[in-house]
Amino acid sequence: MEIKTTKLKRCDLITLIGRFDSAAAPALDNALREANERGVYRIVLDMSGVEYFGSAAIRALVVAYKACRRFNRGDVRLAAVPDKIKQVFDITGITPLVNIYDDVVTAVGSF
Amino acid sequence: MTTAEYELCVASQLGKLAEISDFVGEAATRAGLDEGQVFEVQMATDEACTNSMEHAYEGREDGEVHVCCFIENNSFVVRITDFGKPFEPAEVPQPDITLPLEERSIGGLGLFLIYRLVDDVEFARDVGGGNQVTLRKHRSKEE
Repeated sequence: MEIKTTKLKRCDLITLIGRFDSAAAPALDNALREANERGVYRIVLDMSGVEYFGSAAIRALVVAYKACRRFNRGDVRLAAVPDKIKQVFDITGITPLVNIYDDVVTAVGSF
Repeated sequence: MTTAEYELCVASQLGKLAEISDFVGEAATRAGLDEGQVFEVQMATDEACTNSMEHAYEGREDGEVHVCCFIENNSFVVRITDFGKPFEPAEVPQPDITLPLEERSIGGLGLFLIYRLVDDVEFARDVGGGNQVTLRKHRSKEE
């Protein structure tokens, strides 16, 4: 599992690679909080390299959404979500609530 | 694979989840499940093992989690056993997945996923005093 944060002009781009199970979810939670602590509430998650995204990772995502969208100050937008991860978002009812883009460039450009 | 049984015994550490996933993935593939079914069984197992580690053992890392895979009545079966405190699935609140994100509660998602990813889920107290979760995934065709 690997998390890489790139600070862009409009937003932070957080690239996720590998398995995000309950062991990895705290690191995802920290990366998202760390951005918020710097006053960054506009975040794009590059999901293209994600192999697995469990309920603990979904919880970290939901916590981040709530924090970022508060006071209309930002959003977490997802880019390049692999099909099997998208299926998990469909089952858990996440898909209709979040903004998902085909690629990172479009997601970053949406801010 | 009609009679073969696969068994894995790991410490109750979240860091072991990847090993469990690889183990179940291999057994499910050998059992003839397709790629999508393998992923669903792996995910349901991952969530069930997380429950054992975080709730039955309450985060204690010196417990044991046993994972056993076999075929029964044309279903691929994963049985997860722990020796932690009793787990009562009926006490876990059902998440309302129709609520807006801002109003979502963050618990119960693991159990919710388990029920949707496999065809049958059974919770029992193990004779050894632990919890036993049995997950069944129907194989789409005979081998």
